[in-house]
Amino acid sequence: METSTSQSTADALDKGGILKNKIKVLKKMYPHTRSVLLPALHAAQQLYGWLSEDAIEQVSRLTGVTTADVKGVVTFYSLFKTKPLGRHVIYLCTNVACLIMGADTLEEYLGKTYGISHGETSADGRFSLVIMECIGACDKAPAMLVNDDCHFNISMDNIQQIMESYR
Amino acid sequence: MKNIILKNIENPNSHRIEEYIKAGGYFALEHAVNEMTPRDIIDDIKKSGLRGRGGAGFSTGMKWQFASLDPKFPKYIVCNADEGEPGTFKDRVILEKNPHQLIEGMVITAYALQSVRGYIYLRAEYPHVEKILNDAIQEAYAKGFLGNDIMSRHFRFNLSVHRGAGAYICGEETALINSLEGRRGDPRVKPPFPVNSGAWSKPTIVNNVETYANIPYIVETSPKAYSFLGTRDAPGTKLFCVSGAVKNPGVFELQLGTPLREIIYDHCGGIRNGRALKGIIPGGLSTSILTPDMIDCPMDFANLARHGSMLGSGAVIVLDDTMCIVKIYERAMRFFEHESCGKCTPCREGTGWMRTILRRIEDGMADMEDLATLEDVAHNVAGKTFCPLGEGAAQVLLSAMKRYRGEFEYHVKYKKCEVTDPSLRWGHMSMDELD
Amino acid sequence: MVKLTINGQEAETGRDSTILDAANGIGIKIPTLCHIKGLEPYGGCRMCLIEIEGVARLQTACTTKVNNGMVVFTETEEINKARKAMLEFLLINHPLDCPVCDKAGECLLQDQAARFGASEGRFAEGKRTHPENINDSIIVRNMERCILCTRCTRMCGEAQGAYAISVTGRGQHSFVEPFSHDKYNCEYCGNCLTVCPVGAIMSRLHRHNYRPWYVEKEIETVCGFCGVGCTTFIQMRAATIIRTLPKLGTGVNKGLLCVRGRFGYDYVESEGRLKTPMIRVNGVLEPVSWEKALAYITKTLKDIKTKHTPKAIGAIASGMCSNEDNYMLQKLMRFVIGSNNIDSTARLAYAPAKTYIERIFGAGATANVIADIEKSDGIFTAGGDPTAINPVLGVQIRSAWRHGAKVVVSGQPGGLGNFINYDLNSVPQHEETVLNTLVIGLAEMKGYSGKNPFLERKIKALRLPCEPELRATGVLLENMEEAIDDLSGLKRPVVVIGPSLLHAGIPSKNLFLVAAIAYLIDAKIYLLSKKPNYRGLIDMGCVPDTIPGGLPVRPGQLKLKKGVTMTVPAEKGMGLFEMIDGALDGSLKALYVLGENPVFNLPDRDKTEKALSALDLLVVQDIFMTETTRHAHVVLPAAAWSEKDGTMTNLGGRIQFLRKGSAVSAGKSEWRVIADIARTLGMNETYADSKEVWEEITQVSVLHSASEYDEIKDGGLMWPYGSVQFQGGAEDFIVEGLEILPEIKEACAAAPCKLLLLPERSLFHSGSTTRKSKAILSVSPEPYLSINPVDAGKLGLSNDDTVRVKTAKGSSVVTLKIVRDCPEGAVILSNTFEKVSFNALTGYTVDPVLGCMVFTDNEASLEKL
Ligand SMILES: Cc1cc2nc3c(=O)[nH]c(=O)nc-3n(C[C@H](O)[C@H](O)[C@H](O)COP(=O)(O)O)c2cc1C
Ligand code: SF4
Ligand code: FES
Repeated sequence: METSTSQSTADALDKGGILKNKIKVLKKMYPHTRSVLLPALHAAQQLYGWLSEDAIEQVSRLTGVTTADVKGVVTFYSLFKTKPLGRHVIYLCTNVACLIMGADTLEEYLGKTYGISHGETSADGRFSLVIMECIGACDKAPAMLVNDDCHFNISMDNIQQIMESYR
Repeated sequence: MKNIILKNIENPNSHRIEEYIKAGGYFALEHAVNEMTPRDIIDDIKKSGLRGRGGAGFSTGMKWQFASLDPKFPKYIVCNADEGEPGTFKDRVILEKNPHQLIEGMVITAYALQSVRGYIYLRAEYPHVEKILNDAIQEAYAKGFLGNDIMSRHFRFNLSVHRGAGAYICGEETALINSLEGRRGDPRVKPPFPVNSGAWSKPTIVNNVETYANIPYIVETSPKAYSFLGTRDAPGTKLFCVSGAVKNPGVFELQLGTPLREIIYDHCGGIRNGRALKGIIPGGLSTSILTPDMIDCPMDFANLARHGSMLGSGAVIVLDDTMCIVKIYERAMRFFEHESCGKCTPCREGTGWMRTILRRIEDGMADMEDLATLEDVAHNVAGKTFCPLGEGAAQVLLSAMKRYRGEFEYHVKYKKCEVTDPSLRWGHMSMDELD
Repeated sequence: MVKLTINGQEAETGRDSTILDAANGIGIKIPTLCHIKGLEPYGGCRMCLIEIEGVARLQTACTTKVNNGMVVFTETEEINKARKAMLEFLLINHPLDCPVCDKAGECLLQDQAARFGASEGRFAEGKRTHPENINDSIIVRNMERCILCTRCTRMCGEAQGAYAISVTGRGQHSFVEPFSHDKYNCEYCGNCLTVCPVGAIMSRLHRHNYRPWYVEKEIETVCGFCGVGCTTFIQMRAATIIRTLPKLGTGVNKGLLCVRGRFGYDYVESEGRLKTPMIRVNGVLEPVSWEKALAYITKTLKDIKTKHTPKAIGAIASGMCSNEDNYMLQKLMRFVIGSNNIDSTARLAYAPAKTYIERIFGAGATANVIADIEKSDGIFTAGGDPTAINPVLGVQIRSAWRHGAKVVVSGQPGGLGNFINYDLNSVPQHEETVLNTLVIGLAEMKGYSGKNPFLERKIKALRLPCEPELRATGVLLENMEEAIDDLSGLKRPVVVIGPSLLHAGIPSKNLFLVAAIAYLIDAKIYLLSKKPNYRGLIDMGCVPDTIPGGLPVRPGQLKLKKGVTMTVPAEKGMGLFEMIDGALDGSLKALYVLGENPVFNLPDRDKTEKALSALDLLVVQDIFMTETTRHAHVVLPAAAWSEKDGTMTNLGGRIQFLRKGSAVSAGKSEWRVIADIARTLGMNETYADSKEVWEEITQVSVLHSASEYDEIKDGGLMWPYGSVQFQGGAEDFIVEGLEILPEIKEACAAAPCKLLLLPERSLFHSGSTTRKSKAILSVSPEPYLSINPVDAGKLGLSNDDTVRVKTAKGSSVVTLKIVRDCPEGAVILSNTFEKVSFNALTGYTVDPVLGCMVFTDNEASLEKL
């Protein structure tokens, strides 16, 4: 029994039905509507930056998957964000290949310089830090993504410069 | 030796369909569709001896045959591009530089299995690859290699990319299928196996990117030609991705059975900074560590098994003597704990427990009894988990504890790391130096 | 069959069995935690690890299928070590707060830790903490105790179909949660509570005041809330119900319950229970002794009978009471007083629908096994949300859908919303057009079999709706076509008919159309029944036109037993609405109301109140003071559902046993009191217990003559109860307005032209009883008015606005809720709460063909306050 108290807020979120139309297209990719859930959540996250409860309710309604079920899916995957993050998100890999090439030093540096550790956002809202498991750039370790940009072979010599390019 | 999988790799536009065709691409598909029956193809793949490149090394031809014998339709073709095994970046190279070879391999598979729908399950950590793949798929549609009337032979196959969202376990095929169906990525009970009841309960083939990339070559040459490469038991070439303490890390396409020593010293230029080799993780973090005396082990399924390890994904992580085993395995266990899906008791509870004990050892807060407990907990996890993730976590720790026992004990006894010289640690400057 | 050896013992099982099944079959117990029979194998807890000869690793018994010649061991040293290890893992993060845990004593984890030996406490790290959540009114969540067996989420999804809770997070940080962190927004079926093996999901109703060893008595009985008749177990201490619970796999419900059945029982013990009889003196009800009350009743009845003939006396039977209670009331009226004036609120819809359907298809057409719904490959429902009216039946529809059945719903889908593929939710008053289209389409697809010429002739007379008529329904033609396609291909179809079909438009036409669909696809028919014993009371003759067993009233003698006969009154009896009218015009002087609240349960409340207050004698036998007792001259305390023995007949025609548990009040079984009255008025028979009443019923009723009492006691007896003469043939019937279709009205762009006030079918409430249940009130405390977002937009109204809703019959102030499911052009109001209720705002007429109730005066206007 889904009561719909925040019906109107969730509806108001999708102005112009962008998400609705997107999901309609995505549904055609799969034999069952349920399968549209992951792409739908990606689309919602891209649109709103993160997956608020309202966004989840909206996805729930557009996909026919109950809200609790959507929440279960969202929280299973590390890259679905259930809280808003900073302007730039640093995805720093600290898994073994990066660790042995100095990723822990970088983590320490980011912590000292911006006051952030895993999952946190700097006070000015500029950076959030997400510690990653392997991001598949072990030959150029340590590596990180900032938003969608890849940065490789990071060291104490170039990290400052990289960070400076994100305002 | 010529490259099969990384062919054309030096061409900066290798990902474009024109370049791929120019280098002989999509010829295998044409050959398959025009001159072979689906049965022929499955037989050839079986004969070639190709084994899956995703980690388990299961015979690809057998897998296809099981799916093709199942009377249920539709059948689904899924590419496992979740590449999450720490240390692995080989699929990424194929996806970035040679996406059409993957697509061609998948279309041939689809033809062999009379499947009309395929998905590439792409890990979310490769955002830029999604675009490359989608562009390549569009190109293939435009040229009639995908769509409703492929090569004007009334053969239909549609392909799209399905993005994961950050979960290593989704590389496990049944978890991947759950994720494809829009669910939490818990692994499923086997049997039924995906070949009989996979995506949407229909017969489903899940193969690794590299596995598909081998298909065009086998179809276009012959199973026999293919089996000349590699070893008897493990034919073909393999992408080895080497990282860590070597001079030239990177991806190398080499024949299966190439000795580890050749990979590290000939292809990667040996250990960096003149340090000594301390250990090798040969197939990704879930495979057991090898000691330097095993350096001559040929890199194939059987020989690595003989050394108590596995070929896995072919991800070689090289450790030198500045690196602390306890710290590495504490970090490894953090990975397994973080990625445990939580479905089964031993993995969910055991990985966390092992990690906390390792943390205490690393922090110099543990005694010998803890070491014994750690070993016992690992034994209690091993052999009892639902899927190989938890199993791997326990096994790699057990072998590290066995092979580097002294280092663990040193940590416990002296409450500090054997690798003492801070300037040696991790090859990089530490924070203290920076200030 | 497969043969294998377990611990040296031979076992033989079916090909599809697991090792666990096989072991159970020969009495070998393998410990399990996550496994639950009836749900898909899960294999998560790893407690059931066993050894198979020739297989290197231990395997889980719950997921491994048997093989011929398999050699299995379930008790080796290695296995026991593994089990102990699993328990150790489960306990490292478990709070070990057993002394204050309500699950203590029936906790699987505790039991198994005791069996395999507790671990040595080697875990030196801090435990994971997660605060207990007691912010929901019924369900307490303590996720520190959770062992993540996911029985609850699988039950909620796989069995209940609600998907209202889910595992959230991953790995060690997985917790079971509803969508909102605090309150559950779910159906409160409580089935998650049934299956939680530890104290992670608990009921708040007996928080910290319950231990399993407090239970002094447990009885198996049938739930008294709706027509499904779920098997339920009442656990008691002294006279108090500690809890009611289902047992997995048992009863028509197979171990599921709905919110009412599971949590609503506390009404039985509510403070408002009547304790003594009362007589109105100078306008005030005053307590009196039973003797005095009964003497007053018999004397007054005698007086009225002599002064006005038996025709001036009538009775209203009760859908909440047992067959025996209702039979006795019928006997009093018909055979002792001599009046056929007896009816019930089944008259509103259930009884006329049953009569009509059986006229078309023959007797027994509506008697079908409820469990067959789950096995069906396609279900058509119309006339109300089954998941609200008869929740566990609704759950079976969902379950069928999950197994691939096609579900087609006409009207508001409600709780079936996620279980259909297309939308046939039409604009109110245009449902008939949709049904009409489906019938014509199906007739084209399926052709005519010639089995029922009456019906076929009428189908042929239907007119195909024209384009604008179709458009006016608001349902896409392609959706109707898909539905026709789906329905026409079914092999084991089911048609479910709800009451709303009879309350609006042309009831005979609506019902005929649905019957035609059932006929064309050859479906089993189920009539939803709001009250638990509507079917039973009809079988007991509590209708003006048939005697017990369903034969028509024909003046004459009826054999009661050897040498004893009874006279069936010749005079035609009055039905429910005629009795109300009769009271108003003075032709009815006395009314005996058994367990019913007509003032509250009939529309046009003013009229009912006027009618009842005009009577010379109104006797109300009930468990509470109600809107109706306000007009009573005598009030008799009745026994509640848990306080008496008897039989009930569910909507599918299964007779089941109601067992006495506690006795909270001084209320006596209703049939006893009625029998006492009857004896003073000349009845000779005496009865030691309800069994003797049943024995008399088997003498009087041809339908029940072959029924075995013991069989009923042992788990229920299905229609036709051993007799065969009831198959009956089809007869011709009347349909009004065959060729006409609902008029098309101009749509208004700006504001809704008019809003129709419709009654809510609430999952949580079923009338007078549930509003006395604290538990139910805690989840659904307030009435509200539902409106579609489009209409709300046009009227400039938003969620939680306070509005005045006004009809020709009156006005009320209520909170507004915007509900997407609510059809455009309608507002929906419940009839549960005293301060605002649907029936107080509407009127009714009686349909000339069916004799059911049709709402009138329900055009509403809204005003924002
Ligand atoms: C925990 C776990 C993670 C895995 N991750 C991957 C992966 O990232 N990529 C992959 O191809 N196979 C992965 N596998 C192996 C797959 O389950 C499966 O065996 C493989 O996709 C089959 O393809 P192949 O036969 O071509 O190797 C993983 C297995 C496990 C148990
Ligand atoms: S071993 Fe168990 S908890 Fe770990 S990932 Fe596999 S199923 Fe999940
Ligand atoms: S009962 Fe078999 S794993 Fe839980």
